[in-house]
Amino acid sequence: MSIDWITVLAQIANFLVLLWLLKRFLYRPILDGIDAREAEIAKRMADAELAQQEAKAAERQYIKQRAQLVSEQDALLEKALQATEKKRDGLLSDARTQLQQEQQNWRKYLEHERQAFNQRLQQTGADALLRLTRKALHDLADEHLEDAIVRHIGQRLKPIAAELVQAAAGSQQAQVTTRDALPAATQALLQKEVQQWLPDVTLSFATDPQQSPGVIMQVGGAQVAWTTDSYMDELAELLTQHTSSVAAVHLTADGR
Amino acid sequence: MQLTPDQTVVFTLGQWQVNATIVNTWIVMILLAGISMLVTRNLRADKAPGRWRSALELIVTMIQGQIEEVTRSSARHVLYFAGTLFLFIAASNVLTVIPGFVPPTSSLSTTVALTLSVLVAIPLFGIAKGGVRQYLRKFIEPSMIMLPFNIIGEFSRGVSLAIRLYGNVMSGVVIAAILLSIAPFFFPVVMDMLGLLTGFIQAYIFAILATVYISSAMADPPLDTSDKDK
Repeated sequence: MSIDWITVLAQIANFLVLLWLLKRFLYRPILDGIDAREAEIAKRMADAELAQQEAKAAERQYIKQRAQLVSEQDALLEKALQATEKKRDGLLSDARTQLQQEQQNWRKYLEHERQAFNQRLQQTGADALLRLTRKALHDLADEHLEDAIVRHIGQRLKPIAAELVQAAAGSQQAQVTTRDALPAATQALLQKEVQQWLPDVTLSFATDPQQSPGVIMQVGGAQVAWTTDSYMDELAELLTQHTSSVAAVHLTADGR
Repeated sequence: MQLTPDQTVVFTLGQWQVNATIVNTWIVMILLAGISMLVTRNLRADKAPGRWRSALELIVTMIQGQIEEVTRSSARHVLYFAGTLFLFIAASNVLTVIPGFVPPTSSLSTTVALTLSVLVAIPLFGIAKGGVRQYLRKFIEPSMIMLPFNIIGEFSRGVSLAIRLYGNVMSGVVIAAILLSIAPFFFPVVMDMLGLLTGFIQAYIFAILATVYISSAMADPPLDTSDKDK
């Protein structure tokens, strides 16, 4: 057992060389490779974590957007419902307005028809009344209606003679208007009756088809009338009351 | 019978006789460095490690793990030093299975060289870690009286390292040679198997002891209790 110091020095040198070689070709590459791989794994883990976080964020965004869409859908639905209700109310209002207008038009038409009917009825009634009166006077008393009226005028002028004279104010002409032309005898009779109270007045006769049966005399600023208008008014009032009650019954029956 | 390969001269360079210890050391060095170069020549981080690279990674990480257990730190310089000690001794001892190969660790010159390397490395690592003052202060701990004992202890552990490795390896080789002459077919196989085991154990013990000595040199000094009491 001996120590060769030259060999010891050579072995120390060999050991140092081996130390450098292994450090250069073994430890550093292996450890650096391990570190790089661990760094790569850590990076991938970080990337995966980041991707997971992004996925979670995307999921949260998706849920938020879906909730927002549902909310918007509800709002649109609510808005559409409100618009529909508004449209329905408008249509109902229009229908009610139209119905009221039609009812109003119908009432106007009914009123118009009633008035036309009354007018026709009044006209027909007046004609019938006059014809019957005339016929009755002729059949029962052998007298004309116009003659009877003229005689009656004479009696009616008596209480108002003073007023007529004053109204005539010196006028010598009076206008007598009838619906049908008076017979000459009747005209002479009327002239005679008037001259009892207005001796200076001369009568002129005229016809008016629109006038009611009877006599209207215009003296200066005064007018004296003996017509069937008052009777016709009473008849019209009776007819109006009758037709109004009938229309009311009809409207009530329609309103059921 | 030659007890050490130092006595076997392989060739002569001028006046320098190159013995088997040095040549066999070169063989081990070429083997270790060659394998390392071949395996680690095209390393890429994005490429999966192959079979050989995985084996080297396993060896290196095992050594690193052992060192970290001892030193409680992951200093790469300690790994380079202690790892090289382990790999060189282990490779030398494993190569005893090759007939005619005499491991360089069976030479006292080699073990002395490795021990001297360790004895030089211990203060270097200690000084690199805490400075000269802190390293030298350990020799007078716990008191000045302990200075000669600490110096003797420092050298004696170096001597024990060298003798232990040399004795174990050399004795294994010698016993194998003796048994080979007695029973040439059976005992050498058993002795080689035992030699592999003891070779690894010796390599492990040498490297671990070196690491322990280095780590003790690098350790932080104990807290001054007198200052604390104040």
